[in-house]
Amino acid sequence: MAASAGIVLAGGRSSRMGTSKAALEWHGSTLLRRVTGVLARVVDGPVVVVRAPGQELPALPAQVDVVEDPREGLGPLQGLAAGLAATADRAEAAFACSTDLPFLHPAFVRRVLRALTDGVDVGLPVALGYPQPLAAAYRTALAPLAERLVAAQRLRPAFLFGECSVVRLDEAALRADPVLAALDPDLDSVININEPADYAAARSRTAPEVTIQRFGALADGHRGPQTIHAATMAGAAAAAGLALGRHVVAALNGDQITRDGEMPLATGDTVSFLAADAGG
Amino acid sequence: MAAGGYFGRALVADAGDGTASTLALPDEVLRAFVGGVGLGAWLMHRLAPPGVDPLAPEAPLAFVFSPMVGTPLTTSAKFAVVAKSPLTGLLNDALASSQFAISGKLTGHDAIVVTGACDRPSVLLVDGSGARRIDAADLWGLPAAEAEKRLRERLGRGWRAAAIGPAGERGVRYATISHDGRHAGRGGLGAVMGAKRLKAVAVHAATRVASADPAAVLGAARDLRARSFGPATAKYRELGTLANLLAFNAISTLPTRNFQAATFDGAPKLAAEDLSRMRSVTRGGCASCTIGCEHIYAARGGKQMRVEYENVFALGPMCGVSDPDDVLAASARCDELGLDTISAGGTIAWAMECVERGLIDAPWLRFGDGGALMRALAEIGARQGLGELLSEGSRRAAAQVGGGSAAFAPHVKGMELPGYEPRTMQAMALGLAVNARGADHNRSGAYEADLSGEHDRLEGGERHVAAAIETEDRAAVMDSLILCKFLRGVFSEPFDEWAALLAAVTGWDTDGAELRQTARRIVLAKRAFNIREGWAPADDWLPERLLSEPLRIGSGRVATLTPGRLRSMIDGYYAARGLDSDGRPDEASLAGLLLS
Repeated sequence: MAASAGIVLAGGRSSRMGTSKAALEWHGSTLLRRVTGVLARVVDGPVVVVRAPGQELPALPAQVDVVEDPREGLGPLQGLAAGLAATADRAEAAFACSTDLPFLHPAFVRRVLRALTDGVDVGLPVALGYPQPLAAAYRTALAPLAERLVAAQRLRPAFLFGECSVVRLDEAALRADPVLAALDPDLDSVININEPADYAAARSRTAPEVTIQRFGALADGHRGPQTIHAATMAGAAAAAGLALGRHVVAALNGDQITRDGEMPLATGDTVSFLAADAGG
Repeated sequence: MAAGGYFGRALVADAGDGTASTLALPDEVLRAFVGGVGLGAWLMHRLAPPGVDPLAPEAPLAFVFSPMVGTPLTTSAKFAVVAKSPLTGLLNDALASSQFAISGKLTGHDAIVVTGACDRPSVLLVDGSGARRIDAADLWGLPAAEAEKRLRERLGRGWRAAAIGPAGERGVRYATISHDGRHAGRGGLGAVMGAKRLKAVAVHAATRVASADPAAVLGAARDLRARSFGPATAKYRELGTLANLLAFNAISTLPTRNFQAATFDGAPKLAAEDLSRMRSVTRGGCASCTIGCEHIYAARGGKQMRVEYENVFALGPMCGVSDPDDVLAASARCDELGLDTISAGGTIAWAMECVERGLIDAPWLRFGDGGALMRALAEIGARQGLGELLSEGSRRAAAQVGGGSAAFAPHVKGMELPGYEPRTMQAMALGLAVNARGADHNRSGAYEADLSGEHDRLEGGERHVAAAIETEDRAAVMDSLILCKFLRGVFSEPFDEWAALLAAVTGWDTDGAELRQTARRIVLAKRAFNIREGWAPADDWLPERLLSEPLRIGSGRVATLTPGRLRSMIDGYYAARGLDSDGRPDEASLAGLLLS
């Protein structure tokens, strides 16, 4: 059993946007690909996308599970119930969010998941003036309760919060995490996109500031760290004059090695480019 | 008539009386074990008396060639030295390169096996007329390179020699055998040769050997040559293996201060990126090689030396030493003495920690002290002072010192760990644990999988097992063909491509599927030899430190390799290899090995 999973609710109608928000492009990736990738960077269990029946989704990595919301149009609690049910036997907790969070930062996800201490069922951020149930942490054991509430047509997340133990994380509590305070001081993680104007504003912002470093033969005279802006690993590689592939891999923050150009990057990341032929 | 590329025989020379005989190598044996480490394993099964003391006269020491040797195929001028290891008590093979391989094979033998022991320091000469001994009293005590040089002056430039240094003469259990500056480094083969009172084995070409399809071999050689200039070998050409160091530091895989950390503050001082710019003198390569991976650096005192990642890791971060002059000088000293740098550095680092913990009374031996490192090497080479203990390797030394020091003795099966942190490379952790030779990065290249991005390198599981088996199989074939592993990246379908090369040389109608079976056979033959020599299931394991001390890495994640996880991976490895739960093959598997 993993400690945590990720749940992305992609089945909303996007009626104000007028097009599927999941497929919206942001600095070289789709919003859904980005959000699932951010969650995958944090959780040790599965990442599950909940979609409407038959909904077309943009391309996702094979490791991402897709489940269908059995009843369309019942709102976020229905999607949350489906996501919790899909992760309940694989993880103790899940960070659940919507697909339209281009600035979601891994440090935010970590902070919110940490709120689930013993006896706590929900870690609910209250930021930018609102509770953020679609950027929150849940015990997956809440799945039956969520399903009962949906069956009873009690479809607002507040009904769920009324029947379990909730820790509310206000902005001060969130910023008390020095890592989050440094990397997402304005709590942009919870900015969502509802209308074309929101999307235009999001696109006008520069990609995250990250540090790249090239090692060995890849350095080609570029010794030491360099600051660039890139939202994906491929973007960072391009800024380094490299292409990920058979002979070039990247390490994210000294941790996982990848050739996945679509892996999302966030402010403060460090990307190390290495020769894949690492023996000797 | 033997297949193309082979003579179909081994020379078995008795160093005790200077006589020699010929051992026929049937075609089915050659096809089953190919050459190099594979054929060496078969020869040890056949010629090593069960339970033999590795340093006893009757212990065989084999120089094994391969069908590729002497062809124009790039990187093929390699030979394997194979014996029962005085360090591990198990099968040991080590590769070296260059003209000795070609001249040795062209004495008319696919292998030269030495048994017996001389009554005084000698050199064994092998040429077309067989074997004979000459006195080597004047060479005894010299560094291997100097002995090799004087031998060629005495015998003529057509002779090529593999020699030992003072450490091999004195029985240091991790002494090397060297030729032309390259070392059959691991496992103490130099001590085996020293125990025979052989300063060197010298060979002189006397004949030729033809490939089955010379035109096909030439075509393949041209193709491989072109591919050897591509991106797969860029790292080796441009900076050499030392390029690993700074990259490994960035991803917390650089063992530091006897595996107490996986990053080293002094790493930038030892980085190839800077050292190359400031110290590089020239590049070199083995005979028949187009890669040219050897990077020659200027060291203190006007010396020039080859620099490899493993040297610098073992004598630098592992011992906490960051001054490049100290590290290069220590590496040069290991070459002079004939010491395996990895085992030397690992054993000294263990001793430094023992001093810190009050288990060894040698206050001068401190992490980070380059002078202390040099003194320790000198004492090991002379087997004097603390060197008497440290010349035994970390496993035996820990058994003597006690006090819990075995928990942090950095070895598997007695062989010191190379520069790959198992907790942050968990496919490699498995490879190191189960490999026949002990903690070794050349017979198990699972680090490649850990660095591929194909799995989470910190969470060992089924995929890591599959990766460790695949890379072990590939190594078994490459080390038997023999082709340099630095060429491995140019092959997109390696088993098929290697089979095509082997078919062109030998004339065998072989394919990639057969070579995969060959790989499994070789891996199993090594394990079977070890079992015969007393291997126990507990030998397939890692040092306690690696299983009890988690590492926090740069991302904040904690790398933990629990005994349960390692056990699970080992169980998976055994199952996939067709072994029982104790890691032993069944009788039917052994019957197919042509060992009896």
